[in-house]
Amino acid sequence: MSEPSRYAFPSPQSRSAAPSVADPTQHTWESAFQTHYVDLCEYVLRFVGSAAAAEDLVHDLFLRLWDSRARRGGMELTRAYLYVAAKNRALKYLRHRRVATAWIERAARAEPPTASSPEDLYLRRELADAVRRAIAELPARCREVFVLRRHQHLSYNEIAARAGVSLGTVKSQMWRATVLLKEKLAPYLFIL
Amino acid sequence: MFEQADLLRLIEGDCSPEEAAAIQAWIAVDPKRGELWDELRAVWRITGDTTRAWGIPESLRRLERTKPSLELVAPGRRWWTVSWATPAAAAAIAVLVAGSLIWFFPRGGAPRAYATTHGQLSSLTLPDGSRVLLGVDTRVRVPRDYGGRTRTLDLEGEAYFVVAYDAKRPFIVRTEHGSTQDLGTEFAVRAYREEASVEVVVAEGSVALRGLNGAEPALVTLQRRERAVLDSGGGATVMHDVSLANYLAWTRGALLFDDAPLARVIAQLERWYDLEIETDAALANERVTISLMSRSADEAVKALAQVLNVRATRTGRLVRFVPVHPRH
Repeated sequence: MSEPSRYAFPSPQSRSAAPSVADPTQHTWESAFQTHYVDLCEYVLRFVGSAAAAEDLVHDLFLRLWDSRARRGGMELTRAYLYVAAKNRALKYLRHRRVATAWIERAARAEPPTASSPEDLYLRRELADAVRRAIAELPARCREVFVLRRHQHLSYNEIAARAGVSLGTVKSQMWRATVLLKEKLAPYLFIL
Repeated sequence: MFEQADLLRLIEGDCSPEEAAAIQAWIAVDPKRGELWDELRAVWRITGDTTRAWGIPESLRRLERTKPSLELVAPGRRWWTVSWATPAAAAAIAVLVAGSLIWFFPRGGAPRAYATTHGQLSSLTLPDGSRVLLGVDTRVRVPRDYGGRTRTLDLEGEAYFVVAYDAKRPFIVRTEHGSTQDLGTEFAVRAYREEASVEVVVAEGSVALRGLNGAEPALVTLQRRERAVLDSGGGATVMHDVSLANYLAWTRGALLFDDAPLARVIAQLERWYDLEIETDAALANERVTISLMSRSADEAVKALAQVLNVRATRTGRLVRFVPVHPRH
């Protein structure tokens, strides 16, 4: 009738250490890192504009989270918490470096990316089709550079070597591709 | 000046923090530039997942190494007990550490640096559990890759190290004039820039001293109660059976000198009490034996004047020692 006693209640310690089943957004330090590191870097990059600085800020955030883990018991490592903390750090960094006030005000208005809802999936598919078409319609040289950069994450130097053109050409083609895509994809730019 | 194409560099993060700030200032001037930046960023966002490969495994490894407890012991927090020392002078130390500690955190793979100012001691626990007690006016840099293959840090000033044992990752203190490799131990290294030498005193275990590049065989190996001075020319002088109480007194917040050259005493006094001390040339060859238990600057100056049998005058930071000439 009743289940054997091996189904013991989790001890309070083990409960706080493992991600909770009821709320999949709660993480241990490591799982929070694995799940959110890249997105947080991208988010912070938006404010600071330097990948090196963005990485440092996110690292520092995770170091602090590690240091304070005993007090917090892993309860605050939710997506929302991480984004707010990252944004605060980024703004503080900008103020500290005396970046133009107008830029900081702009940055302060930026919302964290929303977690995708089921309705988004349809939009996403439509968007993906539009993007694929727009990229396919780019002039050949433009497209090659854009795809190598954007989808294969090659550096400009690597692209120049691979395509056998100068670094300046790569950069100007990249700029051209982005501007063309901006025009073709205008209706989709801010839908998600 | 910048052009529109520079907006892409900002979106990709392909700039130094300084360049980024400059481009951001350029955008801030004209709202149209901001709008264009928004649109280009939107293109970026919908045409691919990330702006770059952020390297999760590398980042995690880098973090794991720094993770355990890279923290500054807040001034005034419980002091550690150095094993050979008698637990005294706690009150005196509390006065010493009352100043604020400076913590630099520079950008981009840069090391972490810890610094004390005049009259200030502080301690630091490294990720591997090794501890560092920073003397006055001292800077310690902990490179980002600390604990990777070696545990190497840079020192300018004076510090006492209690090293956590790890045979696979040697613990090395680099200074301007040579490096000191721990061989299981507690030791103090002193390398103030203006002294153009590095001094090492071993309290426990042993250390190996090397020249600048740190790769050549050890110049000298020191055991407990041995002290070496390595000068800028690479010459090493070793003293045996030295008084740890004297050389390590600073770790307890005291200054002890036993037949020390006056110049050395003065240099320390200047660092501890933030003074500028001028002496008469006639005193240049004096040697001094004195014990200063971190009293006020005035008391320290007065005590030294008494030992030297000179008159001291003080105006703000400036102190002058003038010989008292007998009147006949």
